[in-house]
Amino acid sequence: MDRPLDDLARDEVAENIALSAEAGLIEGGAGHDAEERPLFQWRKAPELDKHTRVGLRMQEREVAARYIADPKQMRIYTVLTLGCFALWLASFPLTMLDIVPIWPCFLFATFIAAVGYVPSHEAMHYNIGRPGTKYHFWNEAVGQVATLILIFPFSMARLMHMHHHYHTNHPENDPDYTDGASNWFTAWIKTWLNRQPGADGSIHHYKRCLERIGTPAAKIALRDTMLLQLGSMAFLFALAWSGYAFEACFLFWLPRHLGLSYIRYWLSWAPHHPRDGLDRYTNTRVFRTWVGHWLSLGMQYHIVHHLYPGIPNHATKYAYYEMKPILEQRGVDCSAL
Amino acid sequence: MGVAVIRKLLQWMPFLFGIGFIAPLTAQTMTYWDIDAPLGLSRIGFGLLFGGIWGLYANIRGRWI
Repeated sequence: MDRPLDDLARDEVAENIALSAEAGLIEGGAGHDAEERPLFQWRKAPELDKHTRVGLRMQEREVAARYIADPKQMRIYTVLTLGCFALWLASFPLTMLDIVPIWPCFLFATFIAAVGYVPSHEAMHYNIGRPGTKYHFWNEAVGQVATLILIFPFSMARLMHMHHHYHTNHPENDPDYTDGASNWFTAWIKTWLNRQPGADGSIHHYKRCLERIGTPAAKIALRDTMLLQLGSMAFLFALAWSGYAFEACFLFWLPRHLGLSYIRYWLSWAPHHPRDGLDRYTNTRVFRTWVGHWLSLGMQYHIVHHLYPGIPNHATKYAYYEMKPILEQRGVDCSAL
Repeated sequence: MGVAVIRKLLQWMPFLFGIGFIAPLTAQTMTYWDIDAPLGLSRIGFGLLFGGIWGLYANIRGRWI
């Protein structure tokens, strides 16, 4: 085994983070002790004795080890991602020359915008190829191209995703915390509101996080983001002013927005709602959805990913059912599935 | 210096988006549906007015709608 099995989350028990009591005051009914009170109690996994905890963790690891990404099996992610990216690029001249109608290309672009994050996500965790192996080049290649349609550079995506794992649900430090919403309808609306020019969500929030982090890697990610945003806008403007505004709109701009909303809802809001737990057994939820496993991008079993990011997305379902008795003992609500 | 210029550009991006993307998209949509621009304007002239004002609104208000 050449890689750590465990999650990237902090292991200590989450403390009650006393958020600013301003929210309580705004909502009314706050007493004189509002400043000292946390807004709500964080949900916590039951406290077990050390012997039980270690035993359960060992069992968990045994299951996880059977599902950890095998680079040979992960080659399909590389083939599909690079193939879809090439087809997407080809759709521009094909529609501009009226060889292919625009609507199937729009559907395809929307599909890859929404689903492309999945292989990129595997690359963020080096599941396609670990550094130092012959597969690493393809890991980085997949990461670099998979989210270009979203105007979301890989350097930023990886750094922010690692922060999300490390600080899951932390109101100040989790870059994805701004996706929180009280119900599914508000969550969908918020995916769009967060992208507004003056909003503090989505990529705007990521930029602030990177500026706060301030490391060389964060600076590189900020630079990549600026360059990609400017380059993409220049490409869109050039297409539009050359008489191909519909192509720019339906192959790039609209799929990007639809894809971003889909990703924000299914990959961030749904598996973490209501964001009331900070430790490894409470920071995600197991849920059932009528859209099913594929359309929810496998997010019903997101807990497995947070526990063992080395397990690829397509295997989390199987790992979950094998781990379920252990998770239940750790206090995870597995009643939905 | 270069970073400062890029930051300024990004700050004005909604307005630039209005001019650079919404304007030609509006003009080409009007052509597609065979709609004439009002007030004797050309379609691209109307698109620039519409996209520019909308982009400026987004720049000032911080949201498109």
